[in-house]
Amino acid sequence: MPSNEGYMYAAYIAAAIVYLGYAASLMVRARRLRDRH
Amino acid sequence: MTQPAPLVPAAAAAPHPRRGPDLLLPAALLAVAGAVVRALYFTPVDALQGPAQKIFYLHVPSAFTALYVAFPLLAIASGVYLWLRDDRLDRFAESTAEVGLVYMTVVLVTGPIWAKPIWGTWWTWDARLTLTLFLWFIILGYLVLRGAVDDRAMRARYSAVLGVLALLLVPFIHLSVYLFRTLHPKPIVLKPDAPSMPPEMLTTLLLSFAAFLLLFVALVRLRFRLGSERDARDRLHLED
Repeated sequence: MPSNEGYMYAAYIAAAIVYLGYAASLMVRARRLRDRH
Repeated sequence: MTQPAPLVPAAAAAPHPRRGPDLLLPAALLAVAGAVVRALYFTPVDALQGPAQKIFYLHVPSAFTALYVAFPLLAIASGVYLWLRDDRLDRFAESTAEVGLVYMTVVLVTGPIWAKPIWGTWWTWDARLTLTLFLWFIILGYLVLRGAVDDRAMRARYSAVLGVLALLLVPFIHLSVYLFRTLHPKPIVLKPDAPSMPPEMLTTLLLSFAAFLLLFVALVRLRFRLGSERDARDRLHLED
């Protein structure tokens, strides 16, 4: 069996960064909108 | 010709009072975390591909949600917007496009990470990969277009047309593995025959589908609320 665990973790970490980053950006944008008005 | 009046009265579009914490997003994130733990630690390792095959439980549900849920919803909301001119449909289309683009980004990031150890290359310009990248650019163009047009009605109309047209690529992407010679494997679940994988793997895949779908709903809901609040505050600002 090939040993390629590093690729597996890299993919899951990259996806977590994209999804969590987007969720955080939504919260930041909502807060900025409330603060602006 | 007079412009049709928005179906949502200004009073109904007033800013919402501050809401309590949104529990759907934490619940969806927990569901995704559970699916990831099951995929990484409680699902058998593929004998041929090794641990890298487990990228499958992330890549495939993300692709499924973007191609078969987000972009069809974008096209439907856009098409119905062109008919009814209801601002809520425009906001919903915008939300599904943005969240769909996030899912497609994950597909385009995790695909090459999976391809490198299995195919020996990060990227190849075959039909499936190239069409997927085209669709990513079209959806990005949709969002850039929305940012570039100031007039609300014109922005909604132009982007609705693009939102409908973007869907035309989805069947080509689905069929590309049958129509062209490609390194990308053929579907093992969305095909006429029964899914060709062991039951433990299939269960993990189905749980991942459900978790990523729930996350999609939570993100679209949050993005739709943000759009509603922004539009309502813009309206009030214009009235002042």
